[in-house]
Amino acid sequence: MEFGWNEELEAFRDEVRAFLDEFDTPALRHELANRGEAAQLGPEQSRLRESLEERGWVRMCWPEELGGEGKSQWFQFVMTEEFAKREIPYGSGFGTMVGPAIHRFGTEAQREKYLPGIWANDITICLGYSEPNAGTDLAALETLAVKDGDDWLINGQKLWTSAADTASHVWLACRTDPDAPKHRGISTFIVPMDTPGISVRPIMTMSGGRTNEVFFEDVRVPSDALIGEVNQGWYIIANALDHERVWIGAGGGLRHIFDRLMAHIREKRPELLEDDVVRRRLVELELDLDVMEGLVLTNASIVAAGDTPTMEASMSKIWTSELRYHISNVAMDLLGHEGALTEEADGFAPLDGELERTYRASPIQRFGGGANEVQRDIIARRGLGLPR
Amino acid sequence: MDTTLSDTQRLLRESLRDYLANEVPFDRIRELEREGGADQALWEYLAGAGFLALPFAEAHGGEGGELTDTAVVLEELTRRACIIPFLETTASALAIERHGAEALAEEVVRGVISGAVTIAPALQGSTPANGASPRVESGALTGERRFVDYGADVTHHLVEATEDGEPGLYLVETTAEGVTAESLSTIARTPLAQCTYEGAPARRAGGAEALQFLRRAGRALCAVQCLGNAQQALDMTVEYVGMRVQFGRPIGSFQAVQHHCANMATQTLSARFLVYQSVWRLDQGIASDRQIAKAKALASRAGTEVTMQAHILFGGIGYTEEYDLHFFSRHGKERALAWGSAEECLRVAADTLDEVQPWQ
Repeated sequence: MEFGWNEELEAFRDEVRAFLDEFDTPALRHELANRGEAAQLGPEQSRLRESLEERGWVRMCWPEELGGEGKSQWFQFVMTEEFAKREIPYGSGFGTMVGPAIHRFGTEAQREKYLPGIWANDITICLGYSEPNAGTDLAALETLAVKDGDDWLINGQKLWTSAADTASHVWLACRTDPDAPKHRGISTFIVPMDTPGISVRPIMTMSGGRTNEVFFEDVRVPSDALIGEVNQGWYIIANALDHERVWIGAGGGLRHIFDRLMAHIREKRPELLEDDVVRRRLVELELDLDVMEGLVLTNASIVAAGDTPTMEASMSKIWTSELRYHISNVAMDLLGHEGALTEEADGFAPLDGELERTYRASPIQRFGGGANEVQRDIIARRGLGLPR
Repeated sequence: MDTTLSDTQRLLRESLRDYLANEVPFDRIRELEREGGADQALWEYLAGAGFLALPFAEAHGGEGGELTDTAVVLEELTRRACIIPFLETTASALAIERHGAEALAEEVVRGVISGAVTIAPALQGSTPANGASPRVESGALTGERRFVDYGADVTHHLVEATEDGEPGLYLVETTAEGVTAESLSTIARTPLAQCTYEGAPARRAGGAEALQFLRRAGRALCAVQCLGNAQQALDMTVEYVGMRVQFGRPIGSFQAVQHHCANMATQTLSARFLVYQSVWRLDQGIASDRQIAKAKALASRAGTEVTMQAHILFGGIGYTEEYDLHFFSRHGKERALAWGSAEECLRVAADTLDEVQPWQ
């Protein structure tokens, strides 16, 4: 057991900090603030991203057979943490999830065709998983891909396809054998979004963000759009979902909310700190954040030791997603009516409206990425070994 | 950073777990509860097998190990509901060895390692009406201390007292004239005493630094005990609901039961990180009162809530005296209160809110 960082990692942390000092410019901040939901990186972010690639920092911890350097996962952890502290994104969205899947299950030609674009963020990806009748029960999906000569012909509908309006490609799960047991008749495809027959309709959410429904009408794709074997898709998806769970589990943003809440109270509402009850509630939030950090580090330790966390990843996902609701809820409560103000309220809103924004956006963290009820099932069955 | 057990720790845990499973049946605990007092046979085994030597300096005959090794041992002892002054003796001797009177350190540590010396800290508790504060004059200690774990069952007390207005720690032999220890009954049924000193001969064992270390070590290690009780109750529950059949199937296959178990497991693992982190930091000399208080608050809650939820899932069988679950719910609650309850610890954290630094 060790709860500190060794010299090599401390040195690397310093390196990342120096790197960020160089790139954390007003120009980058301006670009990030005005980015909206664009999938393409702006010039400043691209510059940062290229420089990361040059240093080999993006995939340094991946196994060598996946094109990485096989370094200890702690390097990735330290880098992610330092970027999170500054609130500068460096990942390429779902590319970090789909890239490894293509690397692992694709052909040599497919790797050459897609991976450089994914790493450079020229290829951006949305996830074509959920459907009207396949949500938590994802394996019930019905979008059909039928072999037609050398091509595949795709018909069906996807739902909650975030970024479908901006992404260049969709990572698509289709049914390829309707007669097989539901987990054994699914295949995965990568399809350009400008393929004829694809149409996208927006769905606005209460978070203010946009998601979409996507319709596939006689969409014809060549045989090399299929990634992996026919009907191997569920295995590939399950593999990728594991990555998504860990990804959503990273809750650095919550520390910032707590810090900004403390700063707001100290500066604008110091009378609150005279109240023992308020102080206690703040300490409880801090403790919840400590637990979050502990769960994240526990997971990272398991990964660094070469094992795969199962129940621990689910615990981290549950905790972080529920804390996102809880911290914004308690913070709004402590501040009283001003907690309801949005960023449009002429500069009056505490934390520039971040609390109410976080509160509104918090439900998706709990039901998305594998609903928390399913996570508890996973802890009980896969982790604790309870019977079905 | 590595939250997993080292090979040494795994080995310590396995060998002690085997020994306790074979040699300390729960009926032995029942017997000790009836008769009062600590498990002398177990203490002798721990001394003989070297478990008592783990955290002490090699110069004093110790193993020079990590304090987390000792915490792993303590957790295992807790998981068997063992009644021995392991935390008390270890924390006291460490306070003297690391921060106390050098002249005493060698004698005390060698005594502890041999099994001959056991020590109970007798500190200023957080509960008010604590009796007359002990004072030392010309080597004689006078005063009272309440809530002394194993106070009537050890060879020495390490008493917080003032001398010329300065606080310090004083070592008192319990067989000396002027020392009385009266047993207090608790929910845990483990030994607790109210102690009176009337001109008892006392040797100065340390000053403010030793006292601070002892408070921190006691609280951090008590958090380990809370965690051990929670972990044991969780593991027993998972085993039980996996085999208890109702409605034609194991009750552990019902989602409501599974989700209770998932929450218990999450609460236990959450506490685990902070608790062992506290012990490790204490060992490295970088602990803070605030961090240890937060860890103890979390562990206190886990030790209470997880063990009581276990009773709900066990139903009637877990409610009986003949079943073993109550050891962990009773010990869990008592340990939740010892060395600072969740409420007391959260107050410490709330009073020091100004120490919170932004994430950077």
